[in-house]
Amino acid sequence: MCIDRSGDVPDLFLFCRKHLREEALERSVRRTPPTPPRLPLALLRILLPRAEHRELLADLEEEYVVRVAREGGPAARRWLWRQALGSAPRLLRWKWWRARTGFAPGADTYRPGGAIRSTWIGDARYALRRVRARPGYSALAALTLALGVGGTAAAYGIAGSLLLEPLPYGHESEVGVFWKKTDWTEGEFLYLRGRAPGFRQVALYRRGDVTLRPGDAPARLVPGLLVSAELFDVLGVQPMLGQGLRAVDDAAGAEPVSVLGHGLWQELGADPSIVGGSLVINGAPRTVVGVMPPGFWFPDPSIRIWTSEPLTEDAVSWNSTLIGRVAPGLDVREMSAPVARLTAMLGERFDYPIQWDKTREAHVTPLRDDIVGGMRPALLATLGSMALILLIACANVSALMLGQVDARREELAVRLALGASRWRLTQQLVAEALLVGIAAAVLGTGLASAGFRLIARALPLGAWSDAAAPEWTLFFPAMALAVGAALVVALVPAVSLWQGELRGAVAGARPGGHRVRGGRLEKGLVVAQVALAVLIASGAALLARSVLNLYAVDPGLRAEGVGVVDVMLAAGLGRERQRETLDRLTDALVELPGVRSAAAAQTLPLRGGGYNLPLGIEGRPDLQGMTTEYRIVSPGYLETLGIELRAGRTIDEADRSDTEAVVVINQALADRYFGGADPVGQLVTDDIRMDGDAGARLVRIVGVVADAAERSLTDDPVPVRYVPVAQTPWVDQAQSLVLRAEPGTDPVALLDEARGAVARVAPDVAVRETTTMSRVLDTAVGPARQVMSLLSVLSALALALGAVGVYGVTLHFAMRRRRDWAIRIALGLPGARAVSEVVARGAALVTAGTVIGLLAAAGLARLLSSFLYGVDALDPVALGAAGVVLLAVGVLASLIPARRAGATDPAIVLREQ
Amino acid sequence: MSRRTASADAPLGALEEQVLVAVLRTGDGAYGMGVRREIERITGRDLAIGAVYATLDRLESKGLLLSTRRSVAEGAASRRVFELTPAGTRALSDTRAMRDRLWQGVDLERGAADG
Repeated sequence: MCIDRSGDVPDLFLFCRKHLREEALERSVRRTPPTPPRLPLALLRILLPRAEHRELLADLEEEYVVRVAREGGPAARRWLWRQALGSAPRLLRWKWWRARTGFAPGADTYRPGGAIRSTWIGDARYALRRVRARPGYSALAALTLALGVGGTAAAYGIAGSLLLEPLPYGHESEVGVFWKKTDWTEGEFLYLRGRAPGFRQVALYRRGDVTLRPGDAPARLVPGLLVSAELFDVLGVQPMLGQGLRAVDDAAGAEPVSVLGHGLWQELGADPSIVGGSLVINGAPRTVVGVMPPGFWFPDPSIRIWTSEPLTEDAVSWNSTLIGRVAPGLDVREMSAPVARLTAMLGERFDYPIQWDKTREAHVTPLRDDIVGGMRPALLATLGSMALILLIACANVSALMLGQVDARREELAVRLALGASRWRLTQQLVAEALLVGIAAAVLGTGLASAGFRLIARALPLGAWSDAAAPEWTLFFPAMALAVGAALVVALVPAVSLWQGELRGAVAGARPGGHRVRGGRLEKGLVVAQVALAVLIASGAALLARSVLNLYAVDPGLRAEGVGVVDVMLAAGLGRERQRETLDRLTDALVELPGVRSAAAAQTLPLRGGGYNLPLGIEGRPDLQGMTTEYRIVSPGYLETLGIELRAGRTIDEADRSDTEAVVVINQALADRYFGGADPVGQLVTDDIRMDGDAGARLVRIVGVVADAAERSLTDDPVPVRYVPVAQTPWVDQAQSLVLRAEPGTDPVALLDEARGAVARVAPDVAVRETTTMSRVLDTAVGPARQVMSLLSVLSALALALGAVGVYGVTLHFAMRRRRDWAIRIALGLPGARAVSEVVARGAALVTAGTVIGLLAAAGLARLLSSFLYGVDALDPVALGAAGVVLLAVGVLASLIPARRAGATDPAIVLREQ
Repeated sequence: MSRRTASADAPLGALEEQVLVAVLRTGDGAYGMGVRREIERITGRDLAIGAVYATLDRLESKGLLLSTRRSVAEGAASRRVFELTPAGTRALSDTRAMRDRLWQGVDLERGAADG
């Protein structure tokens, strides 16, 4: 084609000639088409509309080929780049314009990426307008979803990493932990070392916190483990820096060496040359032989240092754990045969008393079960209940949206009649739900990070509870959940669209009176929600009462006014110097202003743990093998804690290593083993051999004190002996200093000074923790308190959602009957009657839900019974309170739509019709 | 919410006019790249394809062009092709008439001499 309409003949001639030449050129290059540069084409591919980019790019390539032939490759490439870069701003502007106007070219209606996409944009804009026009509804819907999304995302954030992510060990499925009927000793480990049947390697570890003095700073306590040299090989992890532990490191006579955790290494300055150098650990320079990689922890994230010391055959400390990597070809879950051989070996070598017999109930627990197993049910239950709450939130928003669809019946019916497809209307609903979902995701992420610590603390996660922190990545599960929830939400109104109920609307068959659809599903949903809220709330109420009861238990001591300083003495000082240190510390504490008395003990009441040692009573050979709790205390300890003296005297300064060995017993011991006789002055034996003594020694009972809760708060009183620290052959490194404040002085205010006093008089002593006896009591109240706080959160959520549900359904009910109200009000029905009818409707639903919920609570309360103390699982006060709260909230929620119904203006409503 | 709409009554911009004329000149089966080539051939301007596309779209949204999808050659894949609507023809002739009126009585050489 070479017709030029401008009419100039020379032009025409030139054009024709040029055109013909171009065509010839095109023909010539068609044989070996040169490939255009990819980058500008890729840029254009991104910018061009999806429906058309293929044909446009083909055109560009074709033109490029022509230009290569005509002007040469470099010029053609420059041209293509000019095209791409010159198009970019125009195409970007144009994309924005298309999105804004929703314009779709006629040619692309049925192309992928054509009209459908622009209808989505149009729908999103329409949804945005609707959402903005109904701020109350939108905020309620978004907030409701956000509660569910936030809770579930937080629970997922906590549980997901523990349940789903691999542990930081190599081939963790091959590693198992030995049975813990009683703890293991170094002697047993050394006997099994290298020849444990069925295991490639076995390692030993036990808790071994150390004191660390970086430079001139006061010593601080670093949570750590004492380990045998094989530990990291068994775990299949090697240090990031340094060679780690070698077999000789725990051999007799070796110098202790340490491996640092990555976090501790960073705190110490992240200096790689630290490996091979030394740190002052437990008061002595100690070589650092490695730094573990980031992300490594064992056996929990609080441990930051692993130390190896010489192991000895005769060490009898019963507090180690054995862990092993199974031999190739064996499954850690099926180790019964090798374990049987192992127990036979143990049985030949060691003589076990019956209660400590390791050859019985022997089994190997897979490492993951050992570490995470205890937390799994709680995590799953939390995740499950949060998911349930999310589902309820979805149902509520769905009901709210259904109400909106109902209010738009006529509009939708007209659009259907005018030829809108149901798909298109559904698409619009989905767009609206997605918009709400996106808002909910943003809100939910905020709620998740706010509630994260609350949930993490409420779960029995131990060291993980401190390690768990909300991360911004929570947004992704929140977003995924919210989008999923939005789609679920759109489902119900979409179904109602597809059921074809709308056709009647335009034909004039108006809903009203008693012909209105029952909404059975909706009502059922609300009843179920209320029931659930009652169930959770009654659980929370039962626990609250039980926690109150726990605080009412008499712990046998006066906890208020007592401050606690947990310290760690430097290792390797020897008994006498440790005792001196303890004396110096208690003296320094007593001298603080506001302190009445101070003392030290190796284990405090209510914390559990501590020694349990054999007791023999003169003339009672039948008591062979009996043990009691054994507390090593300094003079003044019983007075400081406020443990009441019943007979005789307590331990005092006069009880020294060179005086007669004495013991103070508690009432439970006196009652159980001395019956009515006066125990004071009687002689008993214990298994403690002071240096040079052989066999059991005789100890005189000098006093009887009241039963303090030495183990846990709710245990029945157990027999306890208190012995002076001056008369025991060893002094533990871990000690608790207690100080009683003068009346009117808050012990918390003394703790900082106490910490300072410790650093002053004994700089090599690390302070582990300062707290008060009241806090110890709180901790002892323990899991019931934690579960109560979690259930309180859940019941608050369920209550809020139940209220939204009642509100939504009642509103829906009231809106559908607007015309009826209008007519009846026009005929003289007082507005108050309308209000009471609507409230009655809401109240009926709530009552039904409450009754079902209470029945379910009564049925399920025994699940909680292990947490309950002094409260019957069917406690009428707790259940009644939960029911009343729910009823009140439900009635309040239905009051809002009821007031609206009562205020119906018949003139307006009837004119609309 | 205010919304800027492309109005068919607004006078044509220079590029719009060129694109419309190029569609007319290409005749049956005018498509994006063809229009771009035509403008380059006549005016010597090497227009970016993005600019041409955006203009074609805008003209269609104003109702001056209509795009349909069909194969321009036998066996070829279908592509978006444009034709003028009656409104488009009218807009072009209005623009041309307006230009003629503007130029009426203007003598460039005399104006230059006066200036």
